[in-house]
Amino acid sequence: MSIPWVEKYRPARIQDVAGNDEAKKAFVAWLNKWLAGKPGKKAALLYGPPGTGKTSLVHAAARQYDLELLEANASDVRNSAALERRIWRALTESSLFGKRAKIILLDEVDGINPREDAGGLAMILKFIENTRYPLVLTANDPWDPKLRTLRDKCLLIRFKPLGIRIITSVLASICKKEGIFCDYQVLRAIAEKCKGDLRAAINDLQAIAFGKKRITLEDLDMLGYRAKQADMFEIVRMVLAARSPEHARSVLSLPSLDYEMLMQWLSENIPHQYAPSLQAIADAYDALSLADIFLQRAKRTNEWSLLSYALNLMTVGVASARDKPKFRFVKYSFPQKIRLLSQTKKYREIRKRIASAIARKCHVSTRTVIRDILPFLFVIYEADAKLAEEIVKSFDISPKTFRAIIKQ
Amino acid sequence: MSETLWIEKYRPKTLDEMIDQEEVVARLKDFVKEKSLPHLLFAGPPGTGKTTAALCLARELYGEHWRDNILELNASDERGIDVIRRRIKDYARTMPVGEVPFKLIILDEADNMTSDAQQALRRTMELYSRSTRFCLIANYVSKIIEPIQSRCAIFRFQPIPREAVLERLKFIAESENVKITEDGLDAIWEESQGDLRKAINILQAASALDEVVTEDVVYKVLGKITPSEVREMVNLALQGDFLKAREKLRVLLYSYGLSGLDVLKSIYREVMSPKVLSQMPNHMQAELIELIGETNFRIVEGGDDEIQLCALLAKIALKAKGG
Repeated sequence: MSIPWVEKYRPARIQDVAGNDEAKKAFVAWLNKWLAGKPGKKAALLYGPPGTGKTSLVHAAARQYDLELLEANASDVRNSAALERRIWRALTESSLFGKRAKIILLDEVDGINPREDAGGLAMILKFIENTRYPLVLTANDPWDPKLRTLRDKCLLIRFKPLGIRIITSVLASICKKEGIFCDYQVLRAIAEKCKGDLRAAINDLQAIAFGKKRITLEDLDMLGYRAKQADMFEIVRMVLAARSPEHARSVLSLPSLDYEMLMQWLSENIPHQYAPSLQAIADAYDALSLADIFLQRAKRTNEWSLLSYALNLMTVGVASARDKPKFRFVKYSFPQKIRLLSQTKKYREIRKRIASAIARKCHVSTRTVIRDILPFLFVIYEADAKLAEEIVKSFDISPKTFRAIIKQ
Repeated sequence: MSETLWIEKYRPKTLDEMIDQEEVVARLKDFVKEKSLPHLLFAGPPGTGKTTAALCLARELYGEHWRDNILELNASDERGIDVIRRRIKDYARTMPVGEVPFKLIILDEADNMTSDAQQALRRTMELYSRSTRFCLIANYVSKIIEPIQSRCAIFRFQPIPREAVLERLKFIAESENVKITEDGLDAIWEESQGDLRKAINILQAASALDEVVTEDVVYKVLGKITPSEVREMVNLALQGDFLKAREKLRVLLYSYGLSGLDVLKSIYREVMSPKVLSQMPNHMQAELIELIGETNFRIVEGGDDEIQLCALLAKIALKAKGG
């Protein structure tokens, strides 16, 4: 099923929240004081990098203490007067649902822009002054100067990036519940890649486990691919769906743009995006083909000033195709060329070896063998396999090797 | 006797056995007599005996030591001019074996070298001209730079005439106990024209297919050796179905392993076939030739085979649909 696992496996109890024991302890102590009616600071600011359990802890606590949870994203507060009123009411009135108390969560207070909305922070300060219930704020970076006043009013609770061992064990328990067989090594690799962000790790696990009962290290390679691919999808879209040719140029300012890869991606996807206009496909391909020529010249002659023409042709040039159809969403694909080349790699190597053995004795190039001699050998093989094998033996090629390149 | 390719088995061993090319052969024999040799440039279409002539010449010059005195290089297979120069340098350092005072370097498909590489080759030729002679082999003289041409005695190989090809085919058929009909011979000639290598390959494959090599058997072979994807690809492009045409292109490039230029040549042949030509308006013929020529130019410039050929197919599709 496609419920995100980060939701499906959100911890139900405080002790199930992974890691950050000190933070949990501090939070529970603060909450207990509140519920006993003697809060120290009226608000707690949970801060730390993404995916370290800040929101999860609040959810788990609400459930465990049977508190009504009211949740809002801090940057939404200023935009909606209705939301503001709702929070205000929640802070000052009794619970609607007969629960004994409430807890209010304002996520991402560091997302508030004080210049665009000076009132946003002031409002949160007003909430803190007047709240009758525990108010929890979260932030990734609490040291932002704009949050100084806010910091003074809150109990600061720090969440650290989660350790690899903790993440790995959470992933393992999810695998167990999902009935997926997975190597410890694989889980550890996922955990390492996510740099302490449990949410990212669980998302990655779900992505590679999709439709599988067993995950291997090879699947993990795909994950790395996927991350890179995702970027390329965006870049290709920026070129092919550019509002104007000039907009397509913006991809050139991306750091470490792999322009040779981009050419293959564009080549793959031009016909998908520009169909059914043959004019647009032909124009875009012509620009790409010229970009290719300039790039090769730059490489061959070491004249790197030519690179600029190549880069502009593959972006502005491609996007300035005539008669482009109206933009519609199409799913882009990974370049088939690269896939085909890697699929046929072994086959091509064997063929090359056979061809060069024949080439040496027939005094021709391997290209000539592949083009002018192998096809005849295949015909002979089809009619009389033994005979063909005898012939290749005269070139010191084993019949087995030869059979490996016979087309099915 | 063990089986091998007939093109090797029936390759002439001496200049006297050479098929046709009498003028060339006569002059090469003079060189052998005097045991002296200029640099040579053999030019002519495929399958006309250029490489064979070079090998026969070496055999007759050096006798039993011939293998020790020649270096065979194929410009298409060596990785760049630097590798070629190094191999030539290493080889030219040693003394020739026997009484001929120079060694012979046979450089096949020399016209596949860029003009920069040919310039470098020219210097190498000068550097080692005391101890070596070069025999360059090419399809077109014009693709060899002038300074090299002027240093070589140029021999032009003509397509082998019909009678000589048929005579050779009959001789081989007889030696191999293969029956071949007159129409079978005609069909092989039609396809191969003066390319004897191709003619012999067709004969050998046809004889494996059937006891008697008839016209039908020959056409069966030809149908199998030309990938059907070429025709399908061109037709799809002409129908405006670019995506399907691209799929066929990829089969040719990646599962047949054909080079971009070879695919381009077969596209050209297909587009120029009477059947395809008759279906298009006159002005389009010239436009298509220009498109194909331009693509050839771009591939030679070092372009990516797939991108360049896709660009061509897209333009053919556009033209065919009146764009």
